[in-house]
Amino acid sequence: MVKVKPYEDDCCLMKYIAASEQSKCRRLQLQGVKIPLYKFGNQSSLDNYVGLSCTHEEDQSLLDTLLLAQWEDRAWKGLLGYDVTTCEIKVICARRKFVCQLNEGWNMDYFPKPKEEKVFQQSELSVYCMNILREELLFSVSNGEKAIPELIHSATVPNDANLIFVINANPVEYGHVFLVPRGFYGLPQSMDARVLEMVTRVAVEINNCSLRIFYDFSASIANHLYFQACYFANPLPVELMPVVNVLGNWQEKGIHISEVADYPIKALTFEGNGNLKLLVEVVAEICSCLQNQDIRYCLLISSCGKKMFLFPQLHMLATTCTLSAWECGGHFVFKERNDFDRATEDILMKRMAAVSLTDEAFEAVKQLSCSVAGKLAS
Amino acid sequence: MESQLGLIDQSFNARYTSWVREALDELPDNFTITDPSISGHPIVFASRGFLKMSGYLKDEVIGRNGRIFQGPRTNRRSVMEIREAIREERTIQLSLLNYRKDGTPFWMLFHLSPVFSKEDGRVIHFVSVQVPILRKLRSEDGNRWQETVFGSCRREVCSDTVIELARCRALDSFVDSDNRVLEAEESCEANDLEKQKAATAINSILSVLTHYSEQTGRLVCGKRCNSSVMCPLSSSLNISLGRIKQSFVLTDPHLHDIPIVYASDAFLSLTGYNRHEVLGRNCRFLNGPDTDPKAICQIKESIQSDQACSVRILNYRKDGSPFWNHLHISPVRNATGRIAFYVGVQIEEGCKNEGTRGLSPEMRILGTVGAVKVAVRSLSMGAGSSKS
Repeated sequence: MVKVKPYEDDCCLMKYIAASEQSKCRRLQLQGVKIPLYKFGNQSSLDNYVGLSCTHEEDQSLLDTLLLAQWEDRAWKGLLGYDVTTCEIKVICARRKFVCQLNEGWNMDYFPKPKEEKVFQQSELSVYCMNILREELLFSVSNGEKAIPELIHSATVPNDANLIFVINANPVEYGHVFLVPRGFYGLPQSMDARVLEMVTRVAVEINNCSLRIFYDFSASIANHLYFQACYFANPLPVELMPVVNVLGNWQEKGIHISEVADYPIKALTFEGNGNLKLLVEVVAEICSCLQNQDIRYCLLISSCGKKMFLFPQLHMLATTCTLSAWECGGHFVFKERNDFDRATEDILMKRMAAVSLTDEAFEAVKQLSCSVAGKLAS
Repeated sequence: MESQLGLIDQSFNARYTSWVREALDELPDNFTITDPSISGHPIVFASRGFLKMSGYLKDEVIGRNGRIFQGPRTNRRSVMEIREAIREERTIQLSLLNYRKDGTPFWMLFHLSPVFSKEDGRVIHFVSVQVPILRKLRSEDGNRWQETVFGSCRREVCSDTVIELARCRALDSFVDSDNRVLEAEESCEANDLEKQKAATAINSILSVLTHYSEQTGRLVCGKRCNSSVMCPLSSSLNISLGRIKQSFVLTDPHLHDIPIVYASDAFLSLTGYNRHEVLGRNCRFLNGPDTDPKAICQIKESIQSDQACSVRILNYRKDGSPFWNHLHISPVRNATGRIAFYVGVQIEEGCKNEGTRGLSPEMRILGTVGAVKVAVRSLSMGAGSSKS
């Protein structure tokens, strides 16, 4: 039976090694660590994805059970800063039904950032060190050879392309994890179709509409690509907003691009019907174009991987006023009871509108998206 | 799929005598009946009128969820309102854009009403009546149209419409090519006659259902009867919990003696009891002569201190046979952050690992606890429940 055991406080060292300045490639090493490994089936679940909206019809999936079990295990062992389910949530009774959460233990900048002061500039070699408790590693996910997905209880993390699931000890909701990609010819720094494909497959195979996956790109921070995910029991407000369809040849390929209407932060949605592979290619290409132009954005993946929201944001120098992907989606976390009690739709609308692009800039992002989608769909 | 269809047949046959389908088919209205207790909340009956209007064959809709009729222009807010009404088990009436099988959209007045069991106040079915809204809205004279809509609609629809109208003008640049569709997206309000028609249809369907349930002794009614002591879980929570195939129960610590308020199918097959034999009872009926009092004490202590605990305890089935139960108990909190239930997950020691897909017993237990916590976290979060 499960027993409470004190978690080992030995740290496993994750090293980012920028082998050379030319390649701009970073590698992440996990030495001698054994964690559960989930291997996808050899038939990509993105190829023939013909889900309606989320499929309530099916039982809890293997990957869903694995993630929830590992998370609950760590929560029970006391690894987390607080029990996030004790945090009060309320819906603001107004048109957009924003969700507010009171979370006094919340710390926005939790992700263990590479310790910049430890960067060694030895000729062309720099080493970033990132400390993650061994117990914080939940499991990894990689491609597999068998027809159906497979779970291996204890395995060293493979060297080829995989995602490591790391618990966020500072969760914003139940099941909050980091998804850290590894082994994609080094650690990818910018959005990459292969990484996004794997992340989308995770969303498809978890097959739980409560799960949302987030990605925040901030041009100002030295980037290491990672995603976050957690379970929100109810729809995020942005998912309920009306949309206006943007027409184009991508519709013939089952891709729908829309603009979210009547929402304080301008946003685009990308939806795939039966063609998630193309959806992933389109979104990844748009994201990497935005990154090349240093345009800050957030990505929200919902509906079991079928739908992606893109929130481009103003690039504001010398301000920390940016929104995380869940804030863009309409879920706000408050540290102070006072702020939580006083939150109104107006206040939140202003916060969102402050980072929303101007009409011209958003039009440019839309044009870019259409041209990328048009090219890839043809 | 076979078993699903079996459940659907049973959904009707267990409540009503055999001629109920014929009687319902004689009604001229367009309606469907759905069962929230079957996983996926499928349609269990579709009227002739409905099939004719939607262009589907009967077999194409039975067993499916009502969302198959929605399409890209269906207002998502309306869909949310319907979902909210299902969650709160109440009646709702609104205009909705649905799609026929051939993909053509049509406006109709959607009226949903729950059907309750007289016996325990549970929701047995939902009836959805659909009255087509025939007239067309024109946008040639934008202002006039706006006024017309403004005058006749309910408050929330009207504010939506005006804002959306303003929005659609602002976005004219890229909707030119498809104005017709966009126009259809705007709200289309039913008149009093149509609303009356929907209400009348609901009444006649309810009276047929009530009549045909009389002879089975399992009466249904259109209003919840408060005869029962138990407060049943909402349909939407039932739907979420139905996906979890592990043996578990939810108990309510706010009720006297912490009774079971939900028992999964796997719990019933593990213990051999029927659902009605366990609902409303404290879990101690599983204990027997050789159950270790220390284990029982440990469970009590953990509940008193709001903590989770795992114990190995000797339990007894209905037929008296004992089994070693790896029991995990954990508090489960709702959106307010307060404890709503305790979940108890049971795994029988030494039972075969069939269908466990490589998951260890610990993982199956904790994965169940996690899924229950996520599902219950949605409770009491409906708009309006928030007080600052």
